[in-house]
Amino acid sequence: MNDAKKIRVAVIGLGKLGILHTAVVNMVPQAELVAMADVNKQLAKYIEQAGLKAPFYSDTDKMLAEVGPDAVVICTPAFANLSVVRACLARGTDIFIEKPLAHTLADAKTMAGLAAARPMVNATGYLFAHMNLFKTAKRLIDEGLVGPLARVRSAVYTSEVFSKKKGWYYDAEKSGGGAVINIASHLLYILYWFFGPARSVFARTRRIYSDVEDAATALLEFPNDLQGTLDVSWSVPGYRLPFTEIHVEGDNGTIEITNDYIKLYLYKAHRGYPKEWTTIHKIDLGSKSRFEIGAEGLYEEDQDFIERCLDRGRPAVTWADGLEVQRMVEAIYRSAERKILVATGDLA
Amino acid sequence: MTVQLEKLILGANAFEGVSYIARSQSAHYLEYFAKEDNVLAVIEAAYNVGVRGLTCSNTANVMGALVKFPKIKELKVYPVIPNAYEYAMEASEKGILGAVLSKAKGFSMYQKFKFGLRALTKIKSVLTKDVMDLLLELLHFEMASFEKLNLGGVILHGQLTDMALTSHNPDILAIFQEVIRDSFGIEPLLATHNFGVLLPQLMEWKIKIPIMTALNSKGFMMKPSKEECEQLVRESGYQILAKKVLAGGRLTPEEAFPYLLDKKVDGVVVGIGSVPEAYHTFTVAKKILKV
Repeated sequence: MNDAKKIRVAVIGLGKLGILHTAVVNMVPQAELVAMADVNKQLAKYIEQAGLKAPFYSDTDKMLAEVGPDAVVICTPAFANLSVVRACLARGTDIFIEKPLAHTLADAKTMAGLAAARPMVNATGYLFAHMNLFKTAKRLIDEGLVGPLARVRSAVYTSEVFSKKKGWYYDAEKSGGGAVINIASHLLYILYWFFGPARSVFARTRRIYSDVEDAATALLEFPNDLQGTLDVSWSVPGYRLPFTEIHVEGDNGTIEITNDYIKLYLYKAHRGYPKEWTTIHKIDLGSKSRFEIGAEGLYEEDQDFIERCLDRGRPAVTWADGLEVQRMVEAIYRSAERKILVATGDLA
Repeated sequence: MTVQLEKLILGANAFEGVSYIARSQSAHYLEYFAKEDNVLAVIEAAYNVGVRGLTCSNTANVMGALVKFPKIKELKVYPVIPNAYEYAMEASEKGILGAVLSKAKGFSMYQKFKFGLRALTKIKSVLTKDVMDLLLELLHFEMASFEKLNLGGVILHGQLTDMALTSHNPDILAIFQEVIRDSFGIEPLLATHNFGVLLPQLMEWKIKIPIMTALNSKGFMMKPSKEECEQLVRESGYQILAKKVLAGGRLTPEEAFPYLLDKKVDGVVVGIGSVPEAYHTFTVAKKILKV
């Protein structure tokens, strides 16, 4: 890696995640924040006046033409992603895009196709891939600690929606859906990362407060006949932050993975782990991140993207990975709508 | 400027449902401390062992418990502002600016004039008046809940401190410092989750202010590294208020407090999840730290 060169980065879309990415990019040593863009001119006024050195643009095309960044971090609402991506690709930039890739599978396919046709660095924001606890869990599963896998149960819950809410996030035409695409997509990424893409999906969704689904339940079939379930709701009391749990059952025991710990139960001692219970706490695993803001993994995620821009390597999570997640999301929606089993291969 | 810090301070993480150990513990805290009498019982237990300080945000359960606490005048409260969790929850619907502006609407023109003009005469900032007004309104909105309490200092939430750090602009932290001193007559402190990055920057900016930071033998939340944080604690000369001393619950008090013996810290904040835990933790802390 050439340590002297810095990647000139622009952040497009300054909502909650855009502001966090702006903060992180500003702290990655190999990056230089060169511009920020958002269509909200009121937001522009405050950001511009807050003394940040990078210029603010309310017109992305103008920013790309005038600043010419090496790379962009796109955090626009999902429905706008494809058009912003096209504009950036026309300028030859490397691109990180927040998850989901797009509000529709069609847009996500187009984006993945565009990326595959170019020698560009493309990454997307499934940040569990950068968390030490989940990387450790994947390693333990891959090493066969619990033996050949039979079943996986998974869920993600948060206390966020208890009345009808406003904004693009709660409008299916703009966000692509509700709790599944916005919350469970992270869990679907983990399942894809650990076990491969689901082959078939049977699902039900439920609207409680919103015009989009507030909850969903799905049966999933993964490669090697691994059967799985997924449950998601953003309307459950008592979850001040999103909480993810995955229970994997194999021939030699079980592994429970949550945001806080990995808990093993082994029928036979294996690879240095004793028979029966072992708990591995996140705190004990530590973190290699040299900075942390907003969420664990966010700094590593942006650092990974910037470093790959420099060495032209493959980021931890690419748009091809994002497309697989989007396919599973679409399968859940299609199954729930038509009340049928959906083979993800039919969505290829 | 130095702050007279209490040596032992009760933290409020558990009262807000925060646990780094397990979701089940977080759920228990949320349910148990939803009753302000349970918060009050922990505050009383800590007081009975000699603790005279409390850090907290303006959550309803804690504020309700403080109203009922008969020894309230003997307790130094260190507000942590803003209540970042509340803003974060609103931000997904209204956007960050929307969440902030909706809070700032609660002030009268008189308040805006009184606070804004006075601070502006003191602060030479590159920030424009719109941003300045917004910051002032937010600070006063957040401080309103605490105005009748005996305040020992005001702590800027770690998320805000660290956001300000990433802007590479000293003005936001300088304004916080000036406004807290000027408008409230209280000393400000900064909380951070990135102590080893923040402190060198503060030194470069010539901002001398007490810092609340994680300090524990496991290196939990000590960024960029445990070793770099320890060196800065040892050599910087800044006032340090240590938090996360039990490493999010992975250390017992007996394991945790000896680590602090050779560290230059002015106070220690410990979050507590029950009455027995309050008696045990602070008794051990007093014995080991000799305070």
